[in-house]
Amino acid sequence: MSKVECELNINGLSKKINIHNDKPLIYVIRDDFGLTGTKLGCGLEQCGSCAVIIDGEKKLSCNLLAIECEKKEIITVEGLQIESELNHVQEAFRKFNAAQCGYCTSGIIISVTALFDKNQNPSSQEVQNALDGHLCRCGSHSVVLRAIDSLIEN
Amino acid sequence: MNQFNSGPSVNTYNKLSHWFDFSNPGILKVYSGKIDIGQHISSTLALITSKITEIKYDQIEIIKLSTDISPNEGITASSLSVANSGSAIKAASIALKIIFLNYALEKLKIKNEDILFENGVIKDKNSNKTISYWDFSKTDEFREVIIPEIFDENSLKKINYENNQKIELKTINEIITGKYKYVHDINFPKMLHSRIVRPPSYHCKLIKVNEDFKKRLVENEIELFVKGSFVAILSLDEFLVIKFLEIAKNNIFWEEIQQLSNNNVFSSLEKHEKESLLVKSGGEAFYEEIPEKKSFDDPKIESLSTIFKKSYLMHGPIGPSASCAIYNDKEFTVFSHSQSIFALKHSISKYFDIDSNLVTLKFMPGSGCYGHNGADDVAFEASVIAKGYPERYILLKWTREDEHSWEPYGSASLNKVFGAINDDGEIVYWSNEAYSDTYLSRPSDIELNNFISFKFLTNNFVKTKSKPKTSAHMGIHRNLDPIYNFKENRLVKNLVHDLPLRTSALRTLGAFANITASESFLNDLASIKNIDPFDIRINHLDDERALAVLKSLKKEMDFFKPKEDSFRGIAFSRYKNSAAYCAVGVELNVTDDLEIKLNHAWISVDAGEIAYEDGIKAQVEGGFIQAASWTLYEEVIFDSKEIISKDWHSYKIIGFDNIPVFTTSIIDQKGCAYLGVGEVVAGPTGAAISNALCNALGQRIKTLPFTKDNITKELLN
Ligand code: FES
Ligand code: FES
Repeated sequence: MSKVECELNINGLSKKINIHNDKPLIYVIRDDFGLTGTKLGCGLEQCGSCAVIIDGEKKLSCNLLAIECEKKEIITVEGLQIESELNHVQEAFRKFNAAQCGYCTSGIIISVTALFDKNQNPSSQEVQNALDGHLCRCGSHSVVLRAIDSLIEN
Repeated sequence: MNQFNSGPSVNTYNKLSHWFDFSNPGILKVYSGKIDIGQHISSTLALITSKITEIKYDQIEIIKLSTDISPNEGITASSLSVANSGSAIKAASIALKIIFLNYALEKLKIKNEDILFENGVIKDKNSNKTISYWDFSKTDEFREVIIPEIFDENSLKKINYENNQKIELKTINEIITGKYKYVHDINFPKMLHSRIVRPPSYHCKLIKVNEDFKKRLVENEIELFVKGSFVAILSLDEFLVIKFLEIAKNNIFWEEIQQLSNNNVFSSLEKHEKESLLVKSGGEAFYEEIPEKKSFDDPKIESLSTIFKKSYLMHGPIGPSASCAIYNDKEFTVFSHSQSIFALKHSISKYFDIDSNLVTLKFMPGSGCYGHNGADDVAFEASVIAKGYPERYILLKWTREDEHSWEPYGSASLNKVFGAINDDGEIVYWSNEAYSDTYLSRPSDIELNNFISFKFLTNNFVKTKSKPKTSAHMGIHRNLDPIYNFKENRLVKNLVHDLPLRTSALRTLGAFANITASESFLNDLASIKNIDPFDIRINHLDDERALAVLKSLKKEMDFFKPKEDSFRGIAFSRYKNSAAYCAVGVELNVTDDLEIKLNHAWISVDAGEIAYEDGIKAQVEGGFIQAASWTLYEEVIFDSKEIISKDWHSYKIIGFDNIPVFTTSIIDQKGCAYLGVGEVVAGPTGAAISNALCNALGQRIKTLPFTKDNITKELLN
């Protein structure tokens, strides 16, 4: 099974790697870049835990071929901090302690960040759309929604 | 505050050094036998310690459970984390503080009013001399302290504390920045990634592995591990393992020894061989003759009977189970997110027939688990594989399909309920017969068969019959005994054999089904006599704390005007009739398409002294959301060949689009025992939704989940 060379830019760091051409982005993020904040939940684009931002858009990384992400700017949860300060979404999640086991949390923070990067004052429908497809089994939804509401009120 | 009971853990671990490590200056490390599965136990325990000892919360670290250093506090389950570990640590903190104060006053030769006490350091205001907990920990006095089993009022008076609640979760910063490490993220040099090649169903013998496939594995430097019918593949490259797992499915052949049964599980619950036990007041089950159900011909008494049904439910953690193990120099070290860390240690040593000291289990976080999910199985499997590759770390992960299809589910169940109410609104007779498979098949050193892979390793597929547990509120009969003062109860636990799916502990065990059934039925009895749902409950309760919780719920609900076209329902329970009290109110709408939309949820809870308010809130709101998901959407689908619910499309759970607004009230009982809250809300949630739905439709729906299909079937009947 042959490999191809591929150059990816994740959180501002470019790296050339040799990978199978059918390798999904999530495995490159976790194994080749060592960024384990992006979580594999289903591998089927059904749970949202693998979400990353690619060129400003939220994308699920579990079925997305890594080779298709060359020349794109990929941001994972580790790359959200600005000069080591939490971004405003992370800050709200911190303030509200908006996580239980936390397995789903990085994917949710990514989606909410992508939403607020485009629209500082989203409607509740837009928030719902952003959270569509994000599953949480611990039931952290209520506190997550309170954290998001605090961003809109502010 | 009369006295404080230190709880069961202190019976075994009664020295301060069992709980506290002061070896790092300025840092207090605290041991606990409970694991953090997202219920915020580490933050809660640190907060309890901080409140009592007056050491800053930020100076306190909770040591992750490891079987070589941590106290064995049993399983992290049954809402006992704070009740057991919290009470033990509170007791250790009280003992420490009292003796430390005495010691410091004596050493400094000063009085209480002459001291400044900050961050674990006592300072003489006059001389500026100091003594800290860290100094004290080096003394014989510290080593000799025996933590009392009970603190009396006099001792408690010496340790005034604020019930402060404002903290930041210990884990939150790492979680939101992606730095929190789960088992899945372990990475050791030369570590082998592994996946298991599963047969189609529970009872399949390995016939053969295609020879060409074996060659391809060798060419790609992939290891094939086969023992009996247990098959796994391993590689340094995780993605390669995943690729070959797909290929393996067409190259490994199995003989199916027995198919799954696709008979209607509810009729199997009634018809199959069963063991029936009588449950008595107090919640214990007895092998005694079951009395006949009474009948009533008094015209002043009306009776009613109903059968409630609940399907198989899954734990369904968002991250599939994982474990990392190494076998090195005859010893195993296993990283696991199991709730049963100590039982796993003993089970693994039993399987390999070695001294249990040669097995160390270390807790590493996983995705939230809600009971006995795949965590134990995967840890056992990782150690089996590790034995085959000495000195190599093996990181074994279950796939989404593994987790959905192979975990031990929460059993399907039936509740046959019958009751009678007189003209005064008094419930004069209550019968509840619960039918279910076991909720208790956690692995132990005497039940290795409870590991799903044990059968495949030994090629022994004979089903062992589980035995009914008899202790109070254990398993099927949890919360079967109603907390109300009904005149006469007849309670029967039926453990049904030979049901199709593998089952074990899912959050609340039988309590969810029992409370959902009985709190729904209570409303139905009340409505015969036009009695208000709050009144029927209040009239049959005399426990002040239960009444306070119901009254608090009523007040909170009355504060909000119902939304147009919405319907409300309430329910109440005290978990195991001995843990926290909880009343739940729900307001919902039913769309024309029979979809249920949750508008508002009210939760009133009394969990004793509030250990950590946000922790309790997270547990009860999270528990509500999970139970609402069970109630509205969830059922494991299967046929004779396989589990069909293999992913989140074939097993729907609640999403962000159906989360109600919450009004959560927590009653603080400062000085009272901690009562766990992890499971308290589930039963009343199911029943409150059921009761609101009944109000909306004018008819009781008796089959969970309340999907359009189930509702339509019952409406048409
Ligand atoms: S892992 Fe990508 S959506 Fe679940
Ligand atoms: S916080 Fe555990 S899955 Fe969401």
